[in-house]
Amino acid sequence: MADILSLVFRTFTSPVGLKKQLPVRPPPPAAGSSLLLGDPELSRSVLLLAAVTAASELGMRVVFFTQTQIQSLPVSLQRCFSYPRTLEELLLQVAGLHESTSTSPTPPSLIIVDRLEGFLCGAGGSSHGGSHPAQLSCAAHLSALLCDTAAFLTQILEQRGSNSGPCRFIVSFLSEVDSGQGSKDPSGTDPLLDVLDRYFQVRCTLDPDRGYGAAAAGVQEVWHIYLSGRGITEASFTKDREEKPAVYFTNLLKTKSYSRDNINVHFNPRVILWVKIDPF
Amino acid sequence: MRSVLPAVAEQLFRDIHKTYQETSQIPNDLLIALRFVFGPCALQALDLVDQHSVTCLSSPSGRKAFQVVGGSGTLYTCFLSCHYCPCPAFAYTVLRRNEGLLCKHILAVYLCQAMAVTQQESVSDQQMSILLSRTSAP
Repeated sequence: MADILSLVFRTFTSPVGLKKQLPVRPPPPAAGSSLLLGDPELSRSVLLLAAVTAASELGMRVVFFTQTQIQSLPVSLQRCFSYPRTLEELLLQVAGLHESTSTSPTPPSLIIVDRLEGFLCGAGGSSHGGSHPAQLSCAAHLSALLCDTAAFLTQILEQRGSNSGPCRFIVSFLSEVDSGQGSKDPSGTDPLLDVLDRYFQVRCTLDPDRGYGAAAAGVQEVWHIYLSGRGITEASFTKDREEKPAVYFTNLLKTKSYSRDNINVHFNPRVILWVKIDPF
Repeated sequence: MRSVLPAVAEQLFRDIHKTYQETSQIPNDLLIALRFVFGPCALQALDLVDQHSVTCLSSPSGRKAFQVVGGSGTLYTCFLSCHYCPCPAFAYTVLRRNEGLLCKHILAVYLCQAMAVTQQESVSDQQMSILLSRTSAP
């Protein structure tokens, strides 16, 4: 999945020129599971871009799960989206993806879940804030189900000689720390995030710039992207290990709309200043 | 913490597989190693193996899952490719406290696979979906 995110960022690349641009190779396709953390609106935009990019440029069949209805979608994309209202519905729909493999010529090769915290809210009888054991178990259950489903679909894709494999999945999540509901301790972590890290190979963090980067770039908002986790191998680093592995800079979503193959998608504009890949 | 086995555990299961194929039993040194790596749940898992508690479920689509009968008769559905069990021990000891690699049910699955004593059963695709999606054991 991280390779698809890299493609999304490269597709919208336009160097800002504030820092030296360093070449880097994207994570290998084997890094098939990514957790996207940060601002929910921006995460959703990135997920939608990933879905459209994967479907239109890579020819992948995409399944997109979200609780919030997309306002308008082209007919060709509507079948990709599903709107489960609860965690139970989401689990059943993900678990049921194997049922169509015998009748459908193309199994899904990209599964996206938008705003996991919304599905977990109320799971086990608790609110999002807290590390209720039932909530931790629900998060682990969905993550493990996604892992196992992706592994099964990868097997089917390989058996059919498809170029779309392996099956990848990406989930967006707003942690307690980012939402301001967690501990005031700056070193505190979200227990849910610890559980999710067990099942995801790559973590992609969208972090708002809190310095003067936005003013320096002449824009209202600047975001940093960090890629980390065991799915990021040494192949992702430049030869010069003494410098920080700052990757490249992008102006993401400079315009308010993305149009390709008669697919028009409108987003709130953001600027992402630079991307950094951290060692695991 | 990952949801896959560390190398020492994988080697242990390979050794158990090889030895059990040749002698139909697990020697004491491997039992001791099992106890050392997995702690108290090793003996509980071996009890489940003795009781033939692990079944591999298959559906027409080719999807598979493991079902384990717990000590109290509760059925737990576990996955092939990563660690998850709906039992309270997994939720507390593994997920919340990070004090164990797995619960006795997942360990019993590994042992049954290594010893080739897993039961086999077929279910429909719809039944498989329901079993995989259950948030708590029935």
